Amino acid sequence: MAPKKLRRARLSQELCERLSRYQITTCQDFLCLSLLDLMKVTGQSYRNVQKLLCKVSLACAPKMQTAYEMKVRRAVNPSSAFLSTSLHGLDKVLHGGVPCGSLTEITSPPGCGKTQFCIMMSVLATLPVSMGGLDGAVIYIDTESAFSAERLVEIAGNRFPAYFDSDEKLFSMTRSIYLYRELTCGSVLKRIKSLEEEIISKKVKLIIIDSVASVVRKEFDTKLQGNLTERSNFLARGASLLKYLAEEFSIPVILTNQITTWLSNGLAIQADLVSPADDLCLSEGASGGGKRESGSVTAALGNTWSHSVNTRLILQYHDLPTRQILVAKSPVAPFSAFFYTVEKSGFVLQDGKDQTNLTWEGTNPALQNIKMQQPVNAGQGMGALNPQNNRQVHHCAVHRATVNTRYKPATLHLEGKLSSELTLISEREKKPRAPAIRSFSGGNSLGCFLSDHWDLPARAGQK
Amino acid sequence: MQRDVGSLPLAPALRARLVAAGFQTAQELLDTGPCGLSKEIGISKEEALEALQVVRQECHSDATQTAGAPGTSRKCTALELLEQEQAQGFIITFCSALDNILGGGVQLTKITEICGEPGVGKTQLCMQLAVDVQIPECFGGLAGEAVFIDTEGSFMVDRVVDVATACVQHCQLIAEAHQEEDHLKALETFSLESILSHIYYFRCRDYIELLAQVYLLPDFLSEHSKVRLVVIDGIAFPFRHDFEDLSLRTRLLNGLAQQLIIIANDHKAAVVLTNQMTTRIGQSQSTLVPALAAAVPAKEAAIPAGGHCPNLHAG
Repeated sequence: MAPKKLRRARLSQELCERLSRYQITTCQDFLCLSLLDLMKVTGQSYRNVQKLLCKVSLACAPKMQTAYEMKVRRAVNPSSAFLSTSLHGLDKVLHGGVPCGSLTEITSPPGCGKTQFCIMMSVLATLPVSMGGLDGAVIYIDTESAFSAERLVEIAGNRFPAYFDSDEKLFSMTRSIYLYRELTCGSVLKRIKSLEEEIISKKVKLIIIDSVASVVRKEFDTKLQGNLTERSNFLARGASLLKYLAEEFSIPVILTNQITTWLSNGLAIQADLVSPADDLCLSEGASGGGKRESGSVTAALGNTWSHSVNTRLILQYHDLPTRQILVAKSPVAPFSAFFYTVEKSGFVLQDGKDQTNLTWEGTNPALQNIKMQQPVNAGQGMGALNPQNNRQVHHCAVHRATVNTRYKPATLHLEGKLSSELTLISEREKKPRAPAIRSFSGGNSLGCFLSDHWDLPARAGQK
Repeated sequence: MQRDVGSLPLAPALRARLVAAGFQTAQELLDTGPCGLSKEIGISKEEALEALQVVRQECHSDATQTAGAPGTSRKCTALELLEQEQAQGFIITFCSALDNILGGGVQLTKITEICGEPGVGKTQLCMQLAVDVQIPECFGGLAGEAVFIDTEGSFMVDRVVDVATACVQHCQLIAEAHQEEDHLKALETFSLESILSHIYYFRCRDYIELLAQVYLLPDFLSEHSKVRLVVIDGIAFPFRHDFEDLSLRTRLLNGLAQQLIIIANDHKAAVVLTNQMTTRIGQSQSTLVPALAAAVPAKEAAIPAGGHCPNLHAG
């Protein structure tokens, strides 16, 4: 994807040399100039310059294909167009499953089962094609350290007991899942850039990034000037790189996202209008967190990110232990909802109840109201914590706890009492496998850090 | 004929030499002839001949414009324009409310911009239009072909297959109801394969590929003269990141808009663009506005959030 040099566009040698004197070496520079500039720089007449422009454009332009050719290519190997989720109702609505060659996003409040879904999909991708899998390796980029290998083995054993009947099969499955722990935005981007070669060498058939939102929100505080543009740049660059990989190799890419509050009035940040803010992930400002009613949260990372992903699935709470999975945005599927529970074998759809309790909240997936488990009362006992960080803490803490306790349905109501929070965290520290959560209190405020080697950049604003 | 030498579309170095040698008008050049020119300026006879041909062509087109010849000039009376516009076809969207608002459908020779929030149905509408432009004339369509330039990667062939199948069925129902000769004949060529083969798909990954493709479009449209619709799905996406130089972005977008207008007019095609929404933070409130607003002069159709856009040909 690096800009193409003009030499490769079949321009004559002397012309290239002449242009390089004006610092025009790539096709990008050439095409960005106006016709008059080009005449001056190349020293040619108007008609010749137009011909040159066509020549350079031919070198850069994409190849044409008709829709019919695309259909024929799809029909040749139909199984490779989707990765079946093994949830029958969902697969039917999505015309086969998670589509290959595009980005799919899973969003939900903390503890609904995003990481569980990702772990389940990694198992499915390693299955042979006859069982609905892709028979390939999986690249799992983990930014929250939420991946649990024990849970992976448990899901595999319980969901496909006939296939994984021997230890050997389980081990070969776990060997083909490559886990990368990245903790900063820069390292995530670097990792994505290096994926192209890995995909070819390891025969990867699925990329999972869990989660994009956590690493972005840790590093970019939207209250500070300039962070908004950097954040949008990072997200857009990441999205286009992932789209390129997905299309080039025809593999599905699954990303997870978090939630944020949608404020319809009152703003707490000053954004410059040149780069308009496209995310209203703001702190509640002076009004405090207590006024937020459950149900007014939406997917994080803003409008531009919502445009970039092709399919969006939302998980939300219903009546515990049942939850709901919504297809909020999809080029092939209408808006639909299914009930599911999380069992030992991963996700299990509740048949017979789908689509009767459909709440039609409008078709904007970026504004789709997501039901939270319980209102998070920031007022009680949390002191001077920033409610936004509070939510993030809960996010991480619930994830850790559920994974470690062999996934019981999340009945952990974090009421916000200081002591119970501390016990939860200290309980975790006893498990040697999990990354340690160190907590310390300074006066009334409580801050939680995840793992020793995490450097929080100064601009995150957390203490 | 009195055109100044400095305004002729010659190579800048040649122009500089002509001016330095004292030539002032195009008529002087034409009177000198190629041999005299090559001796005076010091260029080869072939180059002089080439330059004179350019000059002659320029002067000829100037002359026809000033003389008011109706064929080559672009002026006409408003009545002629009205007749032209009324005779023009529209691309129907199969959504009668939308067609009514647009005055019959998506207009040819005009740019239409569709903006809306993510997931609201912009790509669906574009896919629908790419199928609708191919409806045979006896059913009220344009019997044209479509170019689909995709920058976001949300073009799903399966969905287009669904839409096309439903469209063919719809036309078959009409043909059965009316039982006319040309309906049945048209239906023979209007099948799923032919619809799909006449949608020309380009996947542009960044703004350079998009620019390059738009530069090449006029030649492509001259070769495929039946194209009546150009869809650019996601004109905002490649320009919204990695652009530190906002003035360059504005200039490129304006250039794109100009080229698209020329394409729309010369080839009698409709151009449809889709745009993203972004949040504009005001003093006391925030509003959702189209991104890259005011860069492209177009007729806008904004699909608001929660606005129930009826399912077009749900498969």
